[in-house]
Amino acid sequence: MSFHILFLVSIVAGFVGAMSGMGGGVVLIPVLTFLGMDIKHAIAVSIVSVIATSSGSASAYVRDRITNLKVGMFLEMFTIVGALAGAAITLVSGRRILFILFGTLLLSSWIALFRQRSEVWRPVGHQDIFSRWLELQGSYYDRSVRQTITYRGVRAYLGGPLMFGAGLIAGLLGIGAGALKVLIHDLVMGLPPKVSTTTSNLIIGVTALAGTSVYLAAGMIDPGLAAPIILGVVFGAFMGTRLLVRLTNQTVRHIFLGVLLVLGFEMIVRGIWRVGG
Amino acid sequence: MKEQGSPDYPGKEKKNDPLDMESLVGYILLTGVLLSVALLLISFVWRWAGVGSLRFEHSIVGMNFFEFISSTLRQVASRAFRPRLFLNMGIGVLMLTPFVRVLASVVYFAFVEHNWKYTLFTAFVLSVLTYSLFLR
Repeated sequence: MSFHILFLVSIVAGFVGAMSGMGGGVVLIPVLTFLGMDIKHAIAVSIVSVIATSSGSASAYVRDRITNLKVGMFLEMFTIVGALAGAAITLVSGRRILFILFGTLLLSSWIALFRQRSEVWRPVGHQDIFSRWLELQGSYYDRSVRQTITYRGVRAYLGGPLMFGAGLIAGLLGIGAGALKVLIHDLVMGLPPKVSTTTSNLIIGVTALAGTSVYLAAGMIDPGLAAPIILGVVFGAFMGTRLLVRLTNQTVRHIFLGVLLVLGFEMIVRGIWRVGG
Repeated sequence: MKEQGSPDYPGKEKKNDPLDMESLVGYILLTGVLLSVALLLISFVWRWAGVGSLRFEHSIVGMNFFEFISSTLRQVASRAFRPRLFLNMGIGVLMLTPFVRVLASVVYFAFVEHNWKYTLFTAFVLSVLTYSLFLR
């Protein structure tokens, strides 16, 4: 596949990923396989590019002091082990099953996005002993409401093991699995939405590196193929973040929901009838 | 609403310290990604100016990550600069970025914050990553 095609596809993937907040992989992998790339190789190069996009955005959030480093570093212990296991499973599993799993993932993200995420957050009053021992509390200055938000993370005993699952999916399918991590932060650990999103970004970088290491060891990382994808996704994500302020949220959602639905069905159909890949 | 006087709120007491953990982690990530993108751009511009093609064909086979890094560094040391070397440097720097971030966290928790709990957690992450990067 030529540099130009890879670069262009990756710009679009990074752009759509940044605007929807889903990351580049969910668009990148289906399109790469559609263009004839083997699904396992598409997963391998995608996960390398995830390191770049997540580290790039995490750097800004961490310096803004919204990310909770302790929450991130505690949960990383689980996601990296999950990612190693997930990537190892991908290496031995059949391609059809990967197509079907990826399609299922896209369709479930479609359902999750369709039920719009509620931005209402209420602080948790009581913190369990384990989470307190882990020092999972913090505060950040929220510019939009101009006040310091103080919060306590809870149920770390549940959040940790669940994060193993999020890491497993990330390594298995070559994506950041950010939406899943945010869900665990929100629903299980009671973190405010901004802290959830930014902390998940921090975790994704390390998780993607763990996944990458397995694919690298299997000889599946081709630098000549990975590099244009990394550059494209980074530029696309950069532009997507800029444009995000100008487009209304509803437009983005509608475009993205349509894209997810088509890609999801396409992947499942190809998995079942074994078309290409 | 005031929390029990924990000293490590992100964005409170430590905000004025120029070398706190947030800045350290943030700048490591930023430097890593920018450097990697710059190296990859150099490799493609050079390749294009040299042979008029942007295509590279080589895989990293039979090498673990640390062997890949050391072979890249040896080429840098012997000044064997070629577009492909910049390409490898770009990929290497990108993969080292989260690794160095975890390494710096271990050092910071151990020597600056003296927080042994989190030194242990980050050290676990570091050892698993190191082990996985030695795989081949």
